[in-house]
Amino acid sequence: MTRIRWQVFTTLLVAWAGAGFGTCHAQEVAGHVPEQIRQAQQAPSSPGSSEPSATAWWLPGDGKTLAALAPYRDAFGSVGVLNAQGPVATAGHPFFEPIGRNGRACVTCHQPANGMSVSVEMIRRRWEETQGQDPLFAAVDGMDCPNLPPADPKSHSLLLERGLFRIFLPWPPKAADGSDLEPEFTLEVVRDPTGCNTHPEYGLRSANPMVSVYRRPRPVANLKYVTHQGFGVFAFIGKNGLPASRDPETGSPSGMNLLSDARQPTLKTQAVEAAVTHLQFDGKLDEPRLQRIVDFESQVYVAQIRHAAGNLMEEGGPPGLGVRNVAAGREGLLGNNITNFVIPLGDQWKHLPESDDRNRMRESIARGHDVFMFRTFWIRDAMHLNTVGLGNPTKRTCATCHGMHMMGMDVANGWMDIGTTNLPWAREEPLNPWNSNKTRLPLFKITCKPGVPPHPFLGRVFYTQDPGRGLISGKCNDVGTIVMQQLRGLAARAPYFANGSAASLREVVDFYDRRFNIGYTDQEREDLINFLSAL
Amino acid sequence: MRLPLATLAALFIAGTAVGAGPATGERVSFVSCPIVRDTSTVPCWLAEYQGVLYFLTLQTDVSAPVNPPWLGHKVLVEGVVSGDADICGGRVLEPVALSVMQELDGSCNTLLPAEERYNLTFEPPRPPGPSRGRLAFGDPAPRAAATPGSALREFTLQYEFDGMVAFRHAQTLQKILEAARATHATGIRITGFRSASRLSNGSVMRERESIARERAEQIRTLLRGAGLDGLRYTVQVKDLSKRPNGGDDAARRRAEVSLEGP
Repeated sequence: MTRIRWQVFTTLLVAWAGAGFGTCHAQEVAGHVPEQIRQAQQAPSSPGSSEPSATAWWLPGDGKTLAALAPYRDAFGSVGVLNAQGPVATAGHPFFEPIGRNGRACVTCHQPANGMSVSVEMIRRRWEETQGQDPLFAAVDGMDCPNLPPADPKSHSLLLERGLFRIFLPWPPKAADGSDLEPEFTLEVVRDPTGCNTHPEYGLRSANPMVSVYRRPRPVANLKYVTHQGFGVFAFIGKNGLPASRDPETGSPSGMNLLSDARQPTLKTQAVEAAVTHLQFDGKLDEPRLQRIVDFESQVYVAQIRHAAGNLMEEGGPPGLGVRNVAAGREGLLGNNITNFVIPLGDQWKHLPESDDRNRMRESIARGHDVFMFRTFWIRDAMHLNTVGLGNPTKRTCATCHGMHMMGMDVANGWMDIGTTNLPWAREEPLNPWNSNKTRLPLFKITCKPGVPPHPFLGRVFYTQDPGRGLISGKCNDVGTIVMQQLRGLAARAPYFANGSAASLREVVDFYDRRFNIGYTDQEREDLINFLSAL
Repeated sequence: MRLPLATLAALFIAGTAVGAGPATGERVSFVSCPIVRDTSTVPCWLAEYQGVLYFLTLQTDVSAPVNPPWLGHKVLVEGVVSGDADICGGRVLEPVALSVMQELDGSCNTLLPAEERYNLTFEPPRPPGPSRGRLAFGDPAPRAAATPGSALREFTLQYEFDGMVAFRHAQTLQKILEAARATHATGIRITGFRSASRLSNGSVMRERESIARERAEQIRTLLRGAGLDGLRYTVQVKDLSKRPNGGDDAARRRAEVSLEGP
């Protein structure tokens, strides 16, 4: 298809799709989605590949059965994927079938072998096996920008280097009903290494103005915890008093913990958007398929099951470890206390009689748990943490923020800024004549408008690689705040943080050590890493 | 870290005897940098004014009636000098209202190390890490539905100086929402107030002119956003900034919400 014919075709598609959302589904999708579908349909799509899969790679449309308990090797042992409702026949299942234009399925970026996310190691392997032809590398979000040359690794640098997918969102932001939101800040592109934010078709000054940021896929597992209606879920957000987003079907408030910017309230609304933006499905998924996706997602659990510490599912083992315990646990509980605990381990691993490698690892995990729960440090200048009544600084522990029982994410409305995307803490390449590497992420200058209080810790003007929640709420103090993730299946899905800036669990721990001047000893660091790797 | 000479003197004196400064029961209002003092348990929050060190509050959790201020910002302190024994070397203010000043101030950066002589003489409401023994918050339990006759119909939201809705208001807004539904309210009357604070040095700090209306309209917007969009809203404003008295100035920074009908 020539470029001109393609443009005509996409224009017609855009017109049709826009009409579909505008007339039939205006109340059923979030306000920003109609703009997203226009860009998704505008981006080229590549056909699916028939290349043979890697051992653990799940191809869209494979038609295999996903076992009730499927173990996959990872860097620290094995991660387990548990289907609580039994084996899943994937033939014809909308989570596993390519339902959009680009040959992807949900499973493409939510691989069982990677704890229902996708690791950068797997992405690189997939690139080598298919010479970049796998639908995983679809231009719409698997490229740094859809206009770049296909099959060139440079066009996919963020995906191949950090496992990042492009998230494109309308700017200025849209309210839930699709109306314009007046943001409290201006956003200026000061660095655009991918070219997408300044691109005439895809960027902020295009006919359909979009901001592009780059984020990791979140694990589609353990979602009864992520979507709970228990502790802390109210009509008003406990962090700022503003109304929580609501389930459009029931009107119930959402815990707003699904996506890194909390832009979708439910699994169903998330699936609608993901089909549009990631699969290039051109419309709104029908109710039966949506329900099947939600039903599958609501019964799948992930946790580490084998480790140098041995079988994490053994009878009588720690109640917070292993995927069966995760599936059986109670959702909606605060675990930042010694009644529930975040990850209940019990005492059986604290002082073991035999001093073999397995028991030494068990003791290390138990110590790492105590570092996580009880090792205090000064948490300072973290938006939506120090500002919610704890004071700045506050002498607390990891479990203060990572407080959800069994998951280690925030119990509700979990966005905060610890500095993963906002400067001066976000990871940037050192600039000097001896380093040829450049930071591949965009950089935005944020200016809080007059009449709005300055950001409490960054002032009126500051810089960010990803405005996070601020792109949805338009609030100055939300810029750079990111909904924290669950801590399950970590060993299977590096890199970490929403922008993939930590390549390993050690880099995660080092980030916190540097950010909050914790001063971990080598022993504390090693124990904490071992603990995290066993979740 | 460098401390002003006055602060060092106050720390020394306050550790041994109290006598200087305002008498018990006297009101003090001032703007100052907060000071954090670590202890073997939770940190204390202090502020110094005219050579006297005051204890403001302890670190507890989000449910505390008084929340600690922020380093990096000055704080407006409005309190009454208590006759209680000093805490962390500071004279106790009880009650006390704290308002974090919005503009950043890098000079507010004093974090003092723990010293044996400033250990707390009581067990704090919760330790610095996970809550112990009791839960700071209980497990979620189903609440009994409010009946029309029992539900409150008047609510007050208190603000920090120049402040708008924040984390501490979520519970009150939730109560308004639930009461409006339980009573089948047909209207909501919202009155936003503007206030001022008379400081101990005689000067007056006034909230920004438009804040009374901003407060009232924000509440209307939030209630509508949470689902109360079919009701009749009446918004009014009151300016109480003309005559601050150094007494109940903090209490005047408020909004009142009344449910109407049926």
